[in-house]
Amino acid sequence: MEKAYGKINGGWIVVVLVIAAVAAGIVSVLRFDATGKSGSGLSDEFNYNLAKLAAVDPALILYEEPGPPLQTGFRQSRALAIGTGGRVYVAGDRALGVFSPTGAPEMLIELSGEPRCLAIADDGKIYVGVGDHVEVLTTQGQPAASWASLGDEAVLTSIAISPDGIFVADAGHRIVLRYDAAGTLVGHIGEKDPDKNVPGFVIPSPHFDLAVSRDGLLRVANPGRNRIDAYTFDGDFEFAWGERSVGIKGFCGCCNPVSFSILPDGGFVTAEKGLDRVKIYNSDGGFVGVVAGPAQLGKEGQIKVCNTPEECQGGGLDVAVAPDGRVYVLDVTNNVIRVFQKKEAGR
Amino acid sequence: MANKEDVTRRKFLREGLWGACLAGAGTAAGLSVARNNQDNTVWQIDPYKCIACGNCATYCVLEQSAVKCIQAYAICGYCDLCTGYLVPEPKALDTGAENELCPTGAIKRTYVEDPYYEYTIDEALCNGCGKCVKGCVAFGNGSLFLQVRHDRCLNCNECAIAAACPSQAFTRVPARQPYLLKGVDAKE
Repeated sequence: MEKAYGKINGGWIVVVLVIAAVAAGIVSVLRFDATGKSGSGLSDEFNYNLAKLAAVDPALILYEEPGPPLQTGFRQSRALAIGTGGRVYVAGDRALGVFSPTGAPEMLIELSGEPRCLAIADDGKIYVGVGDHVEVLTTQGQPAASWASLGDEAVLTSIAISPDGIFVADAGHRIVLRYDAAGTLVGHIGEKDPDKNVPGFVIPSPHFDLAVSRDGLLRVANPGRNRIDAYTFDGDFEFAWGERSVGIKGFCGCCNPVSFSILPDGGFVTAEKGLDRVKIYNSDGGFVGVVAGPAQLGKEGQIKVCNTPEECQGGGLDVAVAPDGRVYVLDVTNNVIRVFQKKEAGR
Repeated sequence: MANKEDVTRRKFLREGLWGACLAGAGTAAGLSVARNNQDNTVWQIDPYKCIACGNCATYCVLEQSAVKCIQAYAICGYCDLCTGYLVPEPKALDTGAENELCPTGAIKRTYVEDPYYEYTIDEALCNGCGKCVKGCVAFGNGSLFLQVRHDRCLNCNECAIAAACPSQAFTRVPARQPYLLKGVDAKE
């Protein structure tokens, strides 16, 4: 019988196909990842690299943390203030904790409600925003006065004291209230009014800080516009500074800065949420340097998972400055206070 | 006396047997109801455990994932600079494609009043990658989050995404309450 050269043997084709199919099956099974450990397999277009954004140039960090953080002892810390003598006041859990300048617990004052903000007057009086109103306590924590309610929608987030009045930030109504020393409401500041060139405050989350500056102007964070506004005590808008950017010189996200404080030289220390950063700006709003970035605040690489909507919105940092220039940072999520001091020259 | 005691014992046994039968039937019925209730559950994502890793987009057995982003309007800040909508360093705060964070353009930005904007999800375009969720949770109020959409989900016995979820955010929830929403009046 003559052999048919050039003809394909069908049997061999079947064998080759079966071997290929089995090999492909084995490879597929070996490569199959049901656990998700190999990642989503999505292209870079779908990735959001938070770690890259959180990186801070070490050369810009001007402060260091000389000691371990101070535990507030609260389950939910809310606000921080420093008294004239350097005493540290922390509000949270319907109470006010008082610590010595060295961090030793001195006093725990029970409050009538959940505090959100506080300020200490030069004479030692304590002003606390509790729910919808302000309560005034004596130096020893005894109730001295309770001011009128600002309504159900009031969310008091900051208090600043000056000889010309006491200023209270109400995030719920997006306005600053001016009181006299007796607790009488004498004015409103910051209500949007194009005729008077008042831009209004944009407050996407309950972060709305203010402070009285050494130049005699009221500085109010306008977090939805990522800047700090300057007002006269009578409510005239003067100017604003702040740049929208994830870069280190700017404020990023929906609502930053979440808090700020005035340095002894008139400069500003600001705190941001999202990218947790504490930074220094000069009195004109020029960027000076960094107190701490996410790594120094123990938040590097963390993907934020909040347990409640309130935590999502309310997380963040509060900052205060001691008379000696040390910067105190309250981490309201981890309930610790970190103290930073300027690095020595040359370090 | 002895006869009376025998009758009492017999009666006791008979009634006891009836009682045991009734108790057994009740237990069986209870177990059946409990099993039925247990069976009427569906897969859902706990938004407070989700880390928006991206696995939802690719591990679903469906060609287009049953997981979609949804918006909790009660929590949203209606920000001009929405970090769930815009890339971290946008050229402008507008709807330019180069400024949008979502690779599929699934988020729509609508002007409300100065300086507020509403953001809505076009589910037909959303692939559940969670990129916007990361941006919103990290820098914003966390109003954007992922949910399994039950008009699409096949409710597999063993969900492929649940098996691949690194944060164990997938859970079974009662079918009568199939969504785990953030906030009190979240619109879908």
